[in-house]
Amino acid sequence: MKGPDNVTKVGTYRSIETMMNPKSVAVIGASNNPDKIGHIILQNYLDEGYSGKVYPINNKRDGDILGMKSYKSVKDVGAPIDLAVIAIPADAVPAVMRECGLAGVKSAIVVSGGFAEVGKTKLQDEMLAIARKYSIPIIGPNCLGVTDPKSRVNTMFLPSYKIDRPKIGGVSFASQSGAVGSSIFDLIAHEGFGLAKFISYGNAADIDEVDIIEYLANDKDTKVIVFYIEGVKRGREFFAAAKKASQAKPVVIIKGGITNEGAKAAHSHTASLAGSYEAYEAVFQQAGFAIAKDMQELLDYAKVFDTQPLTTGSRIAVITNGGGIGVIATDAIYQNGLTLATLTKESESKLRKVMPPIVNIRQPLDMAGDADDKRFGDALSVISADPNVDAIVVIALFQTPGADSRVAATISHYNGIINKPMVVVSPGGSYTEVHKNMLENTGVPVYSSPGAATRSLAALINYSKYRKGVL
Amino acid sequence: MVKQLDYMKAEELLNMYGIKVVSGKYVKNTDEAIRFFDGEAIVLKAIPSKPVHKSKSGMVAVDLKTPDEIVKGFNKVRKAAHRFSPYKILAQKMVKGTEIIIGGRQDAQFGKLLLVGLGGVDVEIFRDFSLRVCPITGYDAESMITGLKSRSIIASSDKQFKMVKELLIKASKLMSDNDISELDLNPIILHDDTYHAVDLRILE
Repeated sequence: MKGPDNVTKVGTYRSIETMMNPKSVAVIGASNNPDKIGHIILQNYLDEGYSGKVYPINNKRDGDILGMKSYKSVKDVGAPIDLAVIAIPADAVPAVMRECGLAGVKSAIVVSGGFAEVGKTKLQDEMLAIARKYSIPIIGPNCLGVTDPKSRVNTMFLPSYKIDRPKIGGVSFASQSGAVGSSIFDLIAHEGFGLAKFISYGNAADIDEVDIIEYLANDKDTKVIVFYIEGVKRGREFFAAAKKASQAKPVVIIKGGITNEGAKAAHSHTASLAGSYEAYEAVFQQAGFAIAKDMQELLDYAKVFDTQPLTTGSRIAVITNGGGIGVIATDAIYQNGLTLATLTKESESKLRKVMPPIVNIRQPLDMAGDADDKRFGDALSVISADPNVDAIVVIALFQTPGADSRVAATISHYNGIINKPMVVVSPGGSYTEVHKNMLENTGVPVYSSPGAATRSLAALINYSKYRKGVL
Repeated sequence: MVKQLDYMKAEELLNMYGIKVVSGKYVKNTDEAIRFFDGEAIVLKAIPSKPVHKSKSGMVAVDLKTPDEIVKGFNKVRKAAHRFSPYKILAQKMVKGTEIIIGGRQDAQFGKLLLVGLGGVDVEIFRDFSLRVCPITGYDAESMITGLKSRSIIASSDKQFKMVKELLIKASKLMSDNDISELDLNPIILHDDTYHAVDLRILE
């Protein structure tokens, strides 16, 4: 296997396992000075309660850093080191990499920037050649590294007061860009769904998109893969790995950089239509990925994949406690290629019995503004059992007289017992926000608009169809 | 440097893959063009050795139904092609129907790609196309068609859907097997439960 500069790759997806579950970590560039990146990384290891061995390394001092014994070089540690996190100026990295090699370090994450991304390709190649000589797989350089909330490994140089830590969960997120990586990481924590693995891989000098997608596809903790990508280096291998990953679990992707310089010089209609971005899009479609257009959509899709079962059917039932939003939702259903369900006669007569006379028994089911938890529960009970219904959109407007926390609790209850996908639309302010959090913490995906909810549902259905090989 | 495969060689290659091309012949003068005519309307087009946009440069005369129209058409095409010399003039049977494009190109990152879309001279304006990496599966071919806005035009019947699907699989094989940097079959005309490629461009 050859890398971009014909340098043999060291890392494989298995190397990432070592980095996620190291028994010992050396933080190179550790410091008592809180302004230094090495300080923040070391502090994070302490804050997160990592249970393995941590060795602060600083070439300027022996003694102690943050209360731990520190060393001038990894060579002085005299114990096995599974992972070295390198956070020192770029020029010093090759020499330190050699020391890591001599010390038998098993893997390295190079956080430092100042390599190929600023034109210093030679420096990056020099570092890579040394890593290759000693068989040290590398993530980076110019990256945040990895986070695994389960093993409490976190190589990020962002202090915990600045960026929230997601709880343990099923969504894994990989990002070429550190900035996109850290902001989505923070949002994942805020949105209330859990994280399995986080990988920010920067310049991808050694471990690249192909290794990462293979790793996440094989990782048992990962239910959903979320990927921010700007480009790939091994196109054909990526395509093969992508198709394989998609057969195991859903992949949500966002591609940065969609301009097409090359298309201008095209000789044919085909080349002028199908530029390099379109090629990426083709690969993603062919691999069954859900393509998100922006960061919000990325989170919207991840949420539904994380919590809801798959279905190839596209007949959607809508229940609402507000007529107008039901109408907007119906439009959104058709705009996203789905159809409104037609309930069975049996369901209709059951609903007729439990709903007050003012409620019209039809789709979308408008239960009126005084609908309380009992009415929501009755509707969900009948509609979830209807064989003509494949998925459910629940519009719960918490501004209405009838809706309160009991409505949220009822929706959570049904989300737990029905085996059809369900999404909730609850636009609103602070009172709604409280109930959105209640719902999301029990695994109900909540959206602020019918558009976002149905788009996410459509992404789930399209992926389900891809998995089953139906159109 | 890209080299365009001669039209007749391109036709031969397509035939090898079972892709139907409308019947045509190079003609040197108006007499030969009239001899090609058998009462059914014909098309005359100039084919310069370097790729140019033919219909937009006036190098195509369509729907020629009489010897008189053929002479006029021949002269028009020859005049328009003059500045693109050297060129040849091709006579083809005129077919009418739904125009689609099937194309391919070599991508630096992912290798050979296959495209299908609503065809004609305005493909760049409508931009209604699907793209996949070669080789494609039957599922890929079907999803390429259903992914188009114009799916109900291109696959107006189950039979036509199946025909286009099979055509895509053949085109994918053509791309995969051969050293082709760009392929443009635009248009391929769907008509009378069959189809014919009427304009071929294969760049090596």
